[in-house]
Amino acid sequence: MIHDDRIATRRVAAELEEPAERAGQLAEKLGLRPYPVNYWVVTHEEMNELIAYDGFQTRYPHWRWGMKYDRQRKQDTFGMGKAFEIVNNDNPCHAFLQESNTPADQKAVITHVEAHADFFRNNQWFGRFAGEREDPDAAAMLEQHAETVGEYAADPEIDRGEVERLIDAVLCVEDTIDQHRALAAERGDDAEIDEEIADIEERLDRLGLSTEVRDQVFDEEWVDEQREGEGLAEPRPDVLSYLREHGKRFDDEEGKAVDREPWMDDVIEILRREAYYFAPQKMTKVMNEGWASFHESLMMGDERFAGDDEFLTYADHMSRVLDSSGLNPYSLGLAIWQYVENSANRREVVDRLLRVEGVTWRNFHDVVDFETVADLLEPDPEIAGLTADSLDRLDPDDPRVDADALARAREGDLDVDAYPWAVLTYEGLCERHFSLAKPANRGFLERIDRTELERRARYMFDDERYPDVESALADVDYGAGWERMREVRESHNDVTFIDEFLTEEFVVEGNYFTYEYSEAAEGYRVASTDPDDVKRKLLLRFTNFGKPTIAAYDGNYANRGELLLGHRYNGVALDLEQAKQTLERVFELWGRPVNLATVVTEYDDHELEVARRRGREPTGEETAIRLRYDGDSVERHALEPELAERIAADDVDYDTKPDEWLA
Amino acid sequence: MGLREDLERFREIGEQRRPDLSEFIREGDLSGSSRDNVRIPVKLVDLPAFEYDRRDMGGVGQGGEGTPEPGRPVDVPGDPEDGDGDGDEDGEPGEEGGEHGYYEMDPEEFARELDEELGLDLDPKGKRVVEEIEGDYTELARAGPNSTLDFEQLFKRGLKRKLATDFDESYVREACRVAGADARDVFEYCREEHVLVSLAWIREAFDEIRREGVSLGEYDSFEAFEARVERDPISARIRRDGLRDVPFRREDERYRQPEVVEKRQKNVVVVNIRDVSGSMRKTKRELVERTFTPLDWYLTGKYDEAEFRYVAHDAEAWEVERGEFFGIRSGGGTRISSAYELAAEVLEEYPFAEWNRYVFAAGDSENSSNDTVENVVPMMREIDANLHAYVETQPGGNAINATHAEEVEQELADRDNVVVARVGGPDDVTDAIERILSTEDDT
Repeated sequence: MIHDDRIATRRVAAELEEPAERAGQLAEKLGLRPYPVNYWVVTHEEMNELIAYDGFQTRYPHWRWGMKYDRQRKQDTFGMGKAFEIVNNDNPCHAFLQESNTPADQKAVITHVEAHADFFRNNQWFGRFAGEREDPDAAAMLEQHAETVGEYAADPEIDRGEVERLIDAVLCVEDTIDQHRALAAERGDDAEIDEEIADIEERLDRLGLSTEVRDQVFDEEWVDEQREGEGLAEPRPDVLSYLREHGKRFDDEEGKAVDREPWMDDVIEILRREAYYFAPQKMTKVMNEGWASFHESLMMGDERFAGDDEFLTYADHMSRVLDSSGLNPYSLGLAIWQYVENSANRREVVDRLLRVEGVTWRNFHDVVDFETVADLLEPDPEIAGLTADSLDRLDPDDPRVDADALARAREGDLDVDAYPWAVLTYEGLCERHFSLAKPANRGFLERIDRTELERRARYMFDDERYPDVESALADVDYGAGWERMREVRESHNDVTFIDEFLTEEFVVEGNYFTYEYSEAAEGYRVASTDPDDVKRKLLLRFTNFGKPTIAAYDGNYANRGELLLGHRYNGVALDLEQAKQTLERVFELWGRPVNLATVVTEYDDHELEVARRRGREPTGEETAIRLRYDGDSVERHALEPELAERIAADDVDYDTKPDEWLA
Repeated sequence: MGLREDLERFREIGEQRRPDLSEFIREGDLSGSSRDNVRIPVKLVDLPAFEYDRRDMGGVGQGGEGTPEPGRPVDVPGDPEDGDGDGDEDGEPGEEGGEHGYYEMDPEEFARELDEELGLDLDPKGKRVVEEIEGDYTELARAGPNSTLDFEQLFKRGLKRKLATDFDESYVREACRVAGADARDVFEYCREEHVLVSLAWIREAFDEIRREGVSLGEYDSFEAFEARVERDPISARIRRDGLRDVPFRREDERYRQPEVVEKRQKNVVVVNIRDVSGSMRKTKRELVERTFTPLDWYLTGKYDEAEFRYVAHDAEAWEVERGEFFGIRSGGGTRISSAYELAAEVLEEYPFAEWNRYVFAAGDSENSSNDTVENVVPMMREIDANLHAYVETQPGGNAINATHAEEVEQELADRDNVVVARVGGPDDVTDAIERILSTEDDT
């Protein structure tokens, strides 16, 4: 087991110490600002255990880790789940490298990890948990949670099965939180206390009344009345916290809802905190993996961080990861990041070119000689082809050159052939790796469309600044692409990232398509290859963790203290079976009957038959329903029209079925 | 505390989650199993959550070669209901599949559990006589491998031989001293007295007596000899002299042989018949599969040898492999008698004297007019079988000409070996199976 101390003795093997240090330096030279990273080398078995525990060494006792471990092991046996590394979001980060990786793999993994560490630290969604101090304090938090829950489970006064049941119930709704909200405030980084949690009894408590007065004036009946009036003006997206604040537990012996034991509130809060801690990782999977792949490729491929002899194995590893079929977050993210880089660089170059005398957005494609532009954009050969032999030709005063490093290199204290980048500054590296000069991106500049040209030109004032193309391009800021990338990595999440930057080109070149289920054909069929459709479908997968949005609508439904959850219906139905089962778990956290409002689409037999005969898709009937679970069975009711209206969220149509489908 | 315990707890929960057999038959995924290995998917224990309906959600896939045309089938891994197999796979959607563990059982265990669950007591009759050589090694033969040589037998036979051939030598020697008797006289006397001595031995004895110079006229006559000399019985001699050597003869060698047991093997042939005409849509096809497949497993588990033949029919009938049987869909009309004609032909290979026979037919009761009464019913009477079953699958209500099941029931009410079961939906499947398996002609 990894809980023993053995792991401490297995700090990163000596041969990796240098690459790890160098990778850190390189990352910073490239403009990254990662958390410090501690590297550990672990065995296969330990790796599987860490994966089961989401990258940590200690978690609270629960069978779900066992399940993940079991799956991971099975995948691993079939060669599908080979993990090279796992890195957790903490300050410092802990990265675990698989013992069996080749040295080239290890170096690649290290570069990958440095980029993740940068992402964890600088992306605002992570910041919402970490707070101003940039410290998620994760390992300590999780360990403390493990201890607390472990103690409850071991407590002879508490039924162990009940602890498990409670955890089960909370985990069922762990994603129904408000992942967009900052938890840092609640974690005590800010003095302000969330007013939301104060319910009426707490407010009464704060009045400092004597118990007698309180009981006489504000008796239970009065409190209940007040509560009834407390219908939710706005639905609460953090269902878990709503349940924590207002839920009770159903007592089998008494046959009614009673207040929870304190340990129960504690466990719910612990799990909720963990849900908030892990939410940013789920929200930025594509961006984060793409970011890491981008920098891994930059450091390993372009900077030959692995050294020439190791490059082949590295290239092999890279293609293995990226080529896995289907939509994987690595290749999707990498492609989008490359687009962000290229388009920002293009904008920079175009802005310069449009300021050349005689160049306008109308004649751009006619007067600009793209061959010449490409030649002019080539990085300085001294910078691009830097070797130990060319050191003498570098000028220490050149802003692209790191004067100190150059001095050391000339002394022979720095191996320039191995680490040429070390002699350059960020500025030098920007030029060295300018994306539009790379063969793969030739033609990207030329492909700019007139709409964008016009948009760029519209608010341009000094549009006759340069006499010729050459002087215009001399002013190009080679760092434009990377700067834009850093901005994007700070503020976006997967949804906004894909929405804003996924291009038509990506969809078309990748042969992406949407598919839908055809009732007529009784199977899935390709529905659309339209880039907009593909993007919308993709967004459905990433919005709200790819799950339906559920919110708390009423805590006193039908004046009976029942909970009403609403599914914000966007045209995609719930998995009803699972929804019913989940509702049963929610009952455990509410203690009184629970309701779920949603919309189902139903097809009557006649319609199905007609559609079949005519070879078309049947048209279903959308019906708003309310599922109610009372602790015994799930019943289906019609939903009040005003509630049906409230749960509707019809801003996006996710259905990509063409009108004339399968005709 | 720790992952090890988490894993154990997970396994514990997994064990509890195995669906019972009826649930598996009604709703489970039968496709993972083969005839010899029933694999019951155990949905990997995981917690439910609010999720989108997989089908309603659709998804994004990536084409391998070029962009696929809208309308082309897509194989979505992990959708249990998908995969009727007709899709040429064009892209791989990047969804992760649903995961299953399996509880595996052989058909014998399946049959035992089904017996228990449905309270069945089908006791298959042995029919075909087969010789089995698996009895005890109690038979003896004159030849065989050394290891099976029955030494006890050899010894006993040798002893018997010794007892039979042994004689009291001193007695015969004394007999030689009867005055005037020559070797032949003594020999004949001994034979009369049942002393198994050879003439040659007596001659030698005479020579010996002469050499020793012992008188040859000791006794006047054989009568006098008889009066004076007592014969030692063999048992006394053996007791006195010990059992010196036992003659082992090749002809006494016996080798142990296994007993040849005549046994009747329980063997069965099942003819599965299915209407594949246009009206048999996917739901109906699935119901047939759900009903027939467990029947196959059950009978495989119950019998020593089970053979299955599959007959598909619309207006014509033809034999198919199991793999295609449940999926076929054709356009033509329906003439059920065509299937029984073919079934009769197939069953000629399996004489009723040697085989238990089951004929299971399934369809939605649609048949061409009068075919049932005029053709099918007489054939069902004629074809010898333990059981004729008709499984009527008719989700979505009765069509007007769907009267086959009814007519079979009416016309063959007098027969013990005919059963009609109706399956309107998955929930009826186990009842149908129970009904079929508890009907059998016991005669």
